[in-house]
Amino acid sequence: MDAIRTEGLTKHFAVGFWRPRPYLALDSLTLHVAAGDVFGFLGPNGAGKTTTLKLLMQLIYPTSGTAEILGRPVGDVQVRRRIGYLPENPYFYDYLTAEELLVYFGGLFGYSSTDSRQRAARLLDEVGIGAERRLQLRKFSKGMLQRVGIAQALVNDPEVVFLDEPMSGLDPLGRRDIRQLILRLRERGCTVFFSSHVLSDAQALCNRVAVLAGGRLAASGALSEILDVHARGWELVIARASDAVLARATAAGVKATPLGDGRYTLDVPVDVAPEQLLTALVEAGAQPVSLSPVQETLEDFFVRQVGAAPKDRGLARD
Amino acid sequence: MTTIARVALSVFRESVRDRILYSIVVFAVLLMAASYLLGQLTAGQDLKIIKDLGLASIATFGLFIAVFIGIGLVWKEVEKRSIYSLLSKPVRRSEFVLGKYCGLVLTLVVNVAVMTIAFYGVMAFLDWRMDPLVGEWPVPPIDPHMLKAIALIVVELMLVTAIALFFSTFSSPFLSAGLTIGLWVIGHFNTDLRNFEAVVDSPAAIWLARVLYYVLPNFAAFDVKAQVVHGQPVAMSYVGLVALYGFAYISLVLTAAVVIFSRRDFK
Amino acid sequence: MPKLPRLVVVALAVLMAAVVGLQAVVAERAPQPVSDGNLLYIRSGEFLKRAALSYRSLLADLYWIRTVQHYGGTKRGADQQRRYDLLYPLLDLTTSLDPQFDIVYRFGAIFLSEPFPSGAGQPGQAIALLEKGLVAQPGDWDLAQQIGFIHYWWRRDYAMAAEWFQRAAQMPDAPQWLSGLAAVTLAEGGNFESSRRLWQQVLNDGDAYWLHSQATFRLKQLDALEVMGVLQQRVRRYTERTGSLPKSWNDMIRTGDVRGVPLDPEEHPFVLRPDGTIGLDPKSPINPLPPGAVPRA
Repeated sequence: MDAIRTEGLTKHFAVGFWRPRPYLALDSLTLHVAAGDVFGFLGPNGAGKTTTLKLLMQLIYPTSGTAEILGRPVGDVQVRRRIGYLPENPYFYDYLTAEELLVYFGGLFGYSSTDSRQRAARLLDEVGIGAERRLQLRKFSKGMLQRVGIAQALVNDPEVVFLDEPMSGLDPLGRRDIRQLILRLRERGCTVFFSSHVLSDAQALCNRVAVLAGGRLAASGALSEILDVHARGWELVIARASDAVLARATAAGVKATPLGDGRYTLDVPVDVAPEQLLTALVEAGAQPVSLSPVQETLEDFFVRQVGAAPKDRGLARD
Repeated sequence: MTTIARVALSVFRESVRDRILYSIVVFAVLLMAASYLLGQLTAGQDLKIIKDLGLASIATFGLFIAVFIGIGLVWKEVEKRSIYSLLSKPVRRSEFVLGKYCGLVLTLVVNVAVMTIAFYGVMAFLDWRMDPLVGEWPVPPIDPHMLKAIALIVVELMLVTAIALFFSTFSSPFLSAGLTIGLWVIGHFNTDLRNFEAVVDSPAAIWLARVLYYVLPNFAAFDVKAQVVHGQPVAMSYVGLVALYGFAYISLVLTAAVVIFSRRDFK
Repeated sequence: MPKLPRLVVVALAVLMAAVVGLQAVVAERAPQPVSDGNLLYIRSGEFLKRAALSYRSLLADLYWIRTVQHYGGTKRGADQQRRYDLLYPLLDLTTSLDPQFDIVYRFGAIFLSEPFPSGAGQPGQAIALLEKGLVAQPGDWDLAQQIGFIHYWWRRDYAMAAEWFQRAAQMPDAPQWLSGLAAVTLAEGGNFESSRRLWQQVLNDGDAYWLHSQATFRLKQLDALEVMGVLQQRVRRYTERTGSLPKSWNDMIRTGDVRGVPLDPEEHPFVLRPDGTIGLDPKSPINPLPPGAVPRA
């Protein structure tokens, strides 16, 4: 059974008060997310990602089409016992402390107060909130609120987690923490569905992605399938590049770009075997720093997809 | 504990931590105390003034609380988006609305109870101070019948709260406050709608007045303050009847609120 | 958006019906308002004028509504103690807020003067109100005429009445009949002619339609009084001729002093009292005659 499934999910908004014009926020989205996937839902701002998430949480109602979570229609209250949701720019009751918020939500799932408190403590540790957990939420910074948001999404050990821009507002350390948390979730068998416009995160975490542009699905599939097609070569970074080393490199048809301090970036064309070149350069006295394949990044793919996506939303745009 | 109860307790907890609420209640209690001083200024009418002022304070401060917290109840959660995370939990939209309502009613009841205790405290003080040789009260200070007036005030406030909550499910605080207070004012002039028929000629206007008379909330019926202060009898059956009317109206308004809220998009 | 389940629609309908039904019952059983529910906390027109800021006219309307309610409520109410105590203060406040509110003066002129139970029975207050109106609108002949009317009808002060009618007649746009009225009042104040003219004017005045029934009533009374005067003469004639008072109308019918049992304009027979005076049938709707009204020939 798919964890998440939408068929032809469409949403029109009526914009304007006196003579409302229709605005097509989502156009016939059909998506299947298998259980256990870490699914990246990508697209530029205004593409319809948040709209999709809200439709899945039934915060808004679809104009047409259906959506199911764990085989049940999205309106089903019982299925919410098994999912978690982090909204974009989360805001919670500012008169509660972080602990109290999690205990309150735990209570809504029917956990005893002891159980809720234990869960709260564990989750707050996991997202990196220490002594601040006793402060009222109105005193929290954006980054801290984001962490609390992730914690509250996990209170019930959900099978499917929906994260809307999980990295937003976090510093690099925070992002690393959350990335690791998502990986841990994957290990536990949890399905993670997250929307983002930070592609590097998606590239590091997801096994499948979908790209949304202008309310329409531009592409979807396994990351390996999407990106594999265009392996272009390798990038080799070396240090202690003497003239002899550089001469050897140029002879192989490699372009060398200086980085300063005796370091060079070598663009190795796809027809040259990188390991052999590296061995030769090392013999010549170079010191290897890094070797990485040059593939199409998600960014390239993204730009290609979004650039090609039709600008016109079918109906009048706001 | 049911979901509605949990949401209600959360609202109550919020109100307890809300400093504005404290100020209102403290002010009301102070007013009760001050009314004692006021009473000294009016020759012989002090008990009546104290009772009048006390009951009016309970009603008025209760009204402030009902309106100004009621209108924000739903709107604030939607505007600030705290509702997004709440509705992703196993909470039905109807449970949310009803839980908010019960929480505010609980807050009101507690506040009215505090004010009532202060009120009876002042009465007791007055009674204790009164020299039995000087004279007898025409109506006793510690009069259990005043509780009838207070009980009806509570039902009235519950209805106002329901109306405020109803408006807050779809409109902004200012508009909600205006509409709620407007309805409260009109509801007090309910009997005048009846008198219209004697004064106005156009049958369309008379018909309209009659429809409004039956449909608009009849807040004047909850007001037995004057009767109670003068010691006139108020039948329990009347209290029961008006309370029943109030609960019927509350049910109607809450059902409508739940319906509207359940069908909304949260953009 | 999900459809509205039928259960919800039914529930809403049932609740609505319950609300309407209960309201009907509650309205019947509502306790009578306590007597001092009629309190007027603000009595000073000067204060109110200032406090009203830019809403003077609106506030005047509200007080006018309240005045009418007070009058109507008092009239319908069973309480014999209430004597329209608030009528004058309310009218005074209303006119302080809006001195051009003509209908208020008119209302006050009538219902302050009318004796209880139809009014407050205070013609002096009515005059005070109208005089205040004249301060704001010095050229308003109608106000002056109404003052004259009150002096004439309720105070029987024909000299003052004539003076006011004359004053009114000299104001701009005053109608022709006013100077005639002044003259007649001066010459024969209290006679039927001038009284009849006054009430006929009221009847002719399209604006004061709500006074028409009053006017008709008064005209009928005047007719009755006139007839009673004639009947009184006839009784005197009979007494002089026969040397004793007639015991009933039949006596006078037999002597030909009257042609049949005399009926008043409402078709009720006049009453011939044992002392020879004429009165109205107590059941006649023309009762009560104006105080001190004496049938004159």
